Amino acid sequence: MFRKVLIANRGEIAVRVMRTLREMGIASVAVYSDADRASLHVRMADEAEHVGPSPSGESYLRADRILDAAKKHGAEAIHPGYGFLSENADFAAACESAGLVFIGPPAAAIRAMGSKTAARRTAVAAGAPVVPGTGHGVTLEQARDFARLHGYPILLKAVAGGGGKGMRRVDRDCELEGALRDASSEAERSFRNSEVYVEKLIARPRHIEIQLFGDRHGNVVHLGERECSIQRRHQKVMEECPSPLVARHPEMRQAMGEAAVRAARAAGYYNAGTVEFLVDQDRKFYFLEMNTRLQVEHPVTELVTGLDLVRVQIEVAAGGRLPFTQEQVAWSGAAIECRIYAEDPYNNFLPFPGKLTRLNRPLGPGIRLDGCVYPGWTVPMEYDPLLAKLAVWAGTREQATERMIRALREYDVGGIRTNLGFFRQILEDAEFRAANLHTGFIDEFFQRRSAPQPPEEFTAVAALAAALHTRSAAPRNAAEAASEGPHPWLEAGRSGLLR
Amino acid sequence: MKLDLTINGAAGEIELLAPAPDCRFRLDGGAERAAQVETPEPGVYSVLLDGRSYDARVEEVPEGLVVVIDGFRFQIEARDPRRFVRKSAGRGGEGIQTVTAPMPGKIVRVLVAPGDAVAAGQGLLVVEAMKMQNEMKAARAGKVLSVNAKEGATVKAGEVLATIE
Repeated sequence: MFRKVLIANRGEIAVRVMRTLREMGIASVAVYSDADRASLHVRMADEAEHVGPSPSGESYLRADRILDAAKKHGAEAIHPGYGFLSENADFAAACESAGLVFIGPPAAAIRAMGSKTAARRTAVAAGAPVVPGTGHGVTLEQARDFARLHGYPILLKAVAGGGGKGMRRVDRDCELEGALRDASSEAERSFRNSEVYVEKLIARPRHIEIQLFGDRHGNVVHLGERECSIQRRHQKVMEECPSPLVARHPEMRQAMGEAAVRAARAAGYYNAGTVEFLVDQDRKFYFLEMNTRLQVEHPVTELVTGLDLVRVQIEVAAGGRLPFTQEQVAWSGAAIECRIYAEDPYNNFLPFPGKLTRLNRPLGPGIRLDGCVYPGWTVPMEYDPLLAKLAVWAGTREQATERMIRALREYDVGGIRTNLGFFRQILEDAEFRAANLHTGFIDEFFQRRSAPQPPEEFTAVAALAAALHTRSAAPRNAAEAASEGPHPWLEAGRSGLLR
Repeated sequence: MKLDLTINGAAGEIELLAPAPDCRFRLDGGAERAAQVETPEPGVYSVLLDGRSYDARVEEVPEGLVVVIDGFRFQIEARDPRRFVRKSAGRGGEGIQTVTAPMPGKIVRVLVAPGDAVAAGQGLLVVEAMKMQNEMKAARAGKVLSVNAKEGATVKAGEVLATIE
């Protein structure tokens, strides 16, 4: 087993990996940029190395500096976390040639699954169902032919894309030319590759994904599914295991699991990976893409299977066999995760960096919190504003929902805005309770939601607290207050829970 | 002590008759009420009122106070009516309109120049933070007086980016 591992990441995932390393008696090496000197992952690590200025392109994405840090500290392996270099085949290969173990899949498997079109070819070859599409970059004429054959609506997607960039929905022929031009130029700007392919649009799809695990001895096992249909800006914000749809139709887990395992085998895959599927209204599923890394939302699978996926990643990377067979994997109860962001859900999910003045974390039965924040910490503007992942486990989905609401009530973050209250509203929503989920859920939720009204006495208590606070505070110096400049709360008053 | 209050835009008044911990107060000239109040940590008020328990968290912001109770937010301005209070600069009212950065970030694009006439809602600048681009818009129509931001420059929250007459 390794004695020392470098984590080529920051934030909550770096902290999460370090926790398992510590449990395994393995020393951890953190890397950090200028903005992250006081971040929790640096404070928690056994060793730490500065790798550059705040922009990630000059620090966390600098493979050379990270490899130098690993050599300097005598690390034997590198855990990439998610994002940054985690799905970079060249980095995985560079680790191996530097004599370091990359805790993840082999570079060849990342290449086979890295671009959406390559992944699609691998999936088709392995017999996994895919959404009807061209699978390669198209000209306007080819796009038009496709639409004629399969009918509108269609979806244009960047070949090298991700995160919704370079994606356009087209409902009729007259929109096609302009949409193709827009998608292509956006793809060029975002990925330096203007190629765009075409897919049939699946109406109101669910996003359900299968967690996979493989070892270097040819074993590939699936750990069931996660439902990730609650998304904003094409990014998941709330995930569950099991999927309530699969819970009602258990045969889906086996069918999707087997399709995912076949695709992974075809790519020569090992370590942790996830195959994402779209599921249509008739419960037919289609291969979407593969994520060749640990997912943000892995805790819900851990809660329901009782496994530590990071531990298994490290064991497999060290050459070990998977510690379970497919038959030994068991699922129990229900887990839900909310991604707690410094953002304003009622103002287009605008990020909200700033200093945390107060923090009270939820505690008690069935709560798991993976975070990187502490009171007094300033949320940096340079990175994704994910503060923490709050996950709960309970015997049933209903109980897990109630438990999450309870946990969110206990969770108090002062000084910045967060999406804590927004999640409470979603969890109270009748459509969510009925598990009528699809990737457009949040957009529709905004149209039907009614702002919850506070109990009457709250206003009296708020007035009293404000009066006592005004009285106790030293007469506030108006000039001093003004010099701090307008605060982001300016925007907040118009868009709070009480709007 | 009497205070004029604005709570989420609505005017009110509170009279504090006895301080914490055994508070007595009167709201909007109504009946006298009693509440037991402790401050377990700065800015946190544990209030027992009519047998019920509330945790009110108070934050100071330039416009006054924000009080959060069980996830509900109250934007409150408390003023001593005996003191002269300068009116805060209006954001949608008359006079000069200042456009400030809502958060620290980088100026990606400047869309107007001094002297330009702008319509209400027209984009003035694009600020990027946390990989999100945010267009700063004019609150109302007017003429651009100054543009203080340059493309590529880093700005702090609250920094004045432009002024409009």
